[in-house]
Order: sequence, then C-alpha cells, then structure tokens
Amino acid sequence: MNEKEQMDLGRRKFCLDLGRMTGGLALLSAAPWLKACTDEKVTATQGETARIGMVGTGSRGRYHIHNLLALPHARVTALCDIYPPNLEAAQALCPGARAYTDYRRLLDDPEVDGVVISTPLGLHADMTLAALSAGKHVFCEKAMALTMEQCKEVYDAYQAGDRALYYCMQRMYDPKYIEGVQRIKDGLIGDVVGMRCHWFRNADWRRPVPSPELERLINWRLYQEFSGGLMTELATHQLEVCNWVAGRLPSEAVGMGDIVYWKDGREVYDSVNVTYRFSDGRKIAYESLISNKYNGMEDQILGKGGTVDLTKGVYYLEEDTEISGMRRLMDSIRQGVFAAVPTAGPSWRPEYRNEYVPHPLVQGSVSVNGGQSMVAADHDGSDLVMSAFCISCISGEKAENVVEEAYGSTLLCLLGNQAMAEGRTVRFPEEYKIPYMKF
Amino acid sequence: MKDFVIQGKVVRRELYLLLGCLVAAELVNTAAILHWGRPVLELLTQLGYVVVLALLFYIVLLLVRGLVWIIYKIFKIK
Ligand SMILES: NC(=O)c1ccc[n+]([C@@H]2O[C@H](COP(=O)([O-])OP(=O)(O)OC[C@H]3O[C@@H](n4cnc5c(N)ncnc54)[C@H](O)[C@@H]3O)[C@@H](O)[C@H]2O)c1
Repeated sequence: MNEKEQMDLGRRKFCLDLGRMTGGLALLSAAPWLKACTDEKVTATQGETARIGMVGTGSRGRYHIHNLLALPHARVTALCDIYPPNLEAAQALCPGARAYTDYRRLLDDPEVDGVVISTPLGLHADMTLAALSAGKHVFCEKAMALTMEQCKEVYDAYQAGDRALYYCMQRMYDPKYIEGVQRIKDGLIGDVVGMRCHWFRNADWRRPVPSPELERLINWRLYQEFSGGLMTELATHQLEVCNWVAGRLPSEAVGMGDIVYWKDGREVYDSVNVTYRFSDGRKIAYESLISNKYNGMEDQILGKGGTVDLTKGVYYLEEDTEISGMRRLMDSIRQGVFAAVPTAGPSWRPEYRNEYVPHPLVQGSVSVNGGQSMVAADHDGSDLVMSAFCISCISGEKAENVVEEAYGSTLLCLLGNQAMAEGRTVRFPEEYKIPYMKF
Repeated sequence: MKDFVIQGKVVRRELYLLLGCLVAAELVNTAAILHWGRPVLELLTQLGYVVVLALLFYIVLLLVRGLVWIIYKIFKIK
C-alpha cells in the first residue's frame, strides 16, 4: 500500500459507513449532522489539513489530542492552559505546537483554523464567543454554557456568523444511537410512551489538589461558579437523545436535588431527580446519584411494543416474535408457576420484570460505555465528531443542527436545575425558544 | 465384593426409553412451533432445549419407576 492509499484508509476510519447501517442514507434525514462525515465529504477534503488550537488541556483536552493525532486531516498547532502541569502534559503529546497561557493569544495565532475548547463549563460561553469573533471555527465541549442568557448569546452569534460550531455531544455520532433512533422512528417499539434515563456512580467526583488555592480550578465541577453539576455534566448527553427521539422538547420540568452523601463543601447536588413533561403528557424521568452505582448509566426509550436501551445498543420487545417457540413455551410455564403466590389469604402476582431477550441494534461489536469514567469511553462517537469538525475547518461548512441540539439539551439541564432550586414546576421560557424547537 | 452385572437388555430398554423421551420432547417443540407460528427450522435449531427437556422427562420417568418399584416391594413383603 502506498502512502496515499494508507492516508485514504486512515481517513475512511473516521467517516461513518452509512452503507453498512440498516438505515443507510435515510439516516441523514433523521440525523443531518452526519452529512459532515460521509465518505464524499472525507474525499472532498483529501490532501488538506485542519490546524487546530487546543484551549484547555486537562483530561478531556488530552483525550481530544489523542483523537486528533490519529486523524490524517488534522494537526495540533497550538496549545493553551493556565495550569502548567496540564500544559506540559499536552506539549509532550504535541512537541511542535506553540504553547500559550492566555487563550486570546492563541486566538490571534494565524496558524490556527479551529479551536477545541475543553475548559470548565463556566468558561465555555466567553471563549466560544471570542473564538467565533476571531474568525475561528469552534469545537466546544458540552454543555453549551452555564446560563440560559449565555446560551442564547452564543446561539445568536453563531447564527449571525459564517464559522462552524460543534459541541461534543458524541451520542449523536455513535452508530448504536444513530441506528437505534432511526429504528425507533421507523416503529420498532411502536408509540414512544416515555423515556427513562439515569446515571449512577459511586465516586465523589473529586480530584486530588496539590495546593488549596487550586481547589476551584481543579475541582471546578463542584462549584456553581463553573458548573451546573450532574445536570450539565451528565444529563446533557441523555436529554439530547430524548429530544432527538421525540423530535421535540418537553415544555416543563419539576424536580428535587440534594446533597445526600458527599457533604464536603461542594455547592452542586450529588443526587438529582427531574421529571420533564412533553405537551402530550409523555415524560422523561431523569435520575442521577453518585453514591451508588448499581443501576449504572442507561438511556431507555419506552414504547408500547418494547424498550430500547440505547446505551447498550439493544432492544427488548413486549411480544417478542423473534424468540423461539420452545423458549416462549418455557417462559409461559415459568410465568404460570410463579403467577399466583398465596400470601396471608388472597393471592397476589409479583410483577417482577420479565426476562426479556436483548436484540442488538447494530450488527458486529459496539462499544458500550458503562458511564463510570470521568473522561471518556473509546469510540463512543467523540472521534467522529472531532473528525467532522476538522472537515468543517477545511471546507468552511457549518454542521447541520448540532448547535440547535446542544442548545436545546443545555437549556433543559438548566431548566431542571432551576426547577430543583426553586422547588416548583418551571415552564420552558418563551424568550429562549428558537425556530428549530418544537414543543 | 459382589459384582453388579448390567444386562444388555436393561441397557437397551433404557436407551429406548431415552429415545422415547427425545421424541416426546421434539413433539413438544413441534407443538410450540405450530402454536407460535415459528419457522420449521427450529426443529433443528432448538435441539439444545429438546435434549434438556428429554433428560428432564427421563429423570421424571426414573423417579416414577422408582416409586412404583418401592410400592411393589412393600406390598410383596406384606
Ligand atoms: N463529552 C464528554 O463526554 C465529556 C467528558 C468529560 C468532560 N467533558 C467536558 O470537558 C470539559 C473539560 O473537562 P475536564 O474533565 O477535561 O476538566 P479538567 O479540569 O481536567 O480540564 C480543564 C482544563 O481547563 C484549564 N483551564 C481552566 N481555565 C482556563 C483558562 N482560562 N484558559 C485556559 N485553560 C483553562 C484547566 O487548567 C484544565 O487543564 C468540561 O466542559 C466537561 O464538561 C466532556
């Protein structure tokens, strides 16, 4: 294989093989953002390279560097961080890149086409706005911003300009999610009647701090000045999936949040339960707790005819016609035997969960993220978003609906936080509705 | 020590019984296939379940025969 062919193969690894997926090209209408990573787009940008500047080289920033280093159409030309150990660690990965400690200087660098922002949430809006106005394409980590006002400001700036803006909502690029959402829309589980998403961990979310004055810089997730807590850090991804499946947004939220276990001076909840209601009465039940991990992380779409667990890339059917006759016979005998359990007089039927048979959404192996890592899972779609971003840096094309999806899910997280803080039902504010949204 | 001698005809009888159990289990499989409208191929693909069911039938039969034998012995002694 010659060098050109090798490069071609390398590129192809980072485009979505729509031909291999059941939905094929039809997937592009349900997930138009994928247009940026089709084979044609990859081929059209052949021979060109996106020059990338990294702002924030902490754990997620360096994860992105690893993905960028594997991309034939990307080169990291600049790095910026205010915490020397993280900047040095990134320099070790990209020895040729210029290093900055002020992101504005990086934005002045003409050798940078696109900026990857992996800093604490509280800094996303200012950095994104500055980068867009400096004429850079931007890839920003989720969530979009810390407040609704900031989200709207960024959204308006993006709409008014011609630069590409991506948010790292990797589920939108994950084959099992893409296939799953498409099949749900095609009627796999009948009418969608509800959604249940949760994320459980058993860890304090803290990182070791070498010196007390660095506490807020390193453990920014725990402080409201920088973070929206579990909602913006974890729920963002999951609520985006719910919006994507429903094709609309819930119109109100109610919830409760508390610091149940980690009473260590943090300002964000370690336990949240939020219910979102769509205008037709369907609900998203969201729960996150970080002092017990029995339930792990799951994104469940509940249909009249079955359930899809997008996290694991499987579905279960209520009336499973794909199960063999023998298996069904044994199931009905078992159900008959355990159906009536006499207790203290009247008999009752324990409604344990049936043993449903999991069916895979995608053929071949899929990567399943158990949700326990604070950094990432391998091949969860993050590499594809990054690849799509680099293609946009080269072609100058904006991605379809990525910002709108990030805007919607971030606003829902912030709405959930507001509902918990105020202890009341809050409606989606009129002033933050955008034309893309349906309710 | 006394040697146990298992006669050829006993072995043959047990094998026939086992075969009977297999046939009965495959009949159950056929009934399930017909009942739930499953592909005929399941006659082969579900052989694992069929074998397990056949063994189950055989064990039940063994227990019943043991019981009959005990009852017979009790009455004979009386
Ligand atoms: N998409 C995902 O699945 C995913 C996973 C993990 C983290 N994240 C997001 O990535 C972002 C970063 O998270 P992390 O875990 O890497 O945090 P981190 O604390 O490890 O890294 C943040 C980095 O930003 C640097 N920084 C802070 N202020 C800065 C400034 N003014 N200028 C330049 N650099 C500055 C810090 O020094 C640090 O190195 C967060 O928004 C987080 O929500 C996303």
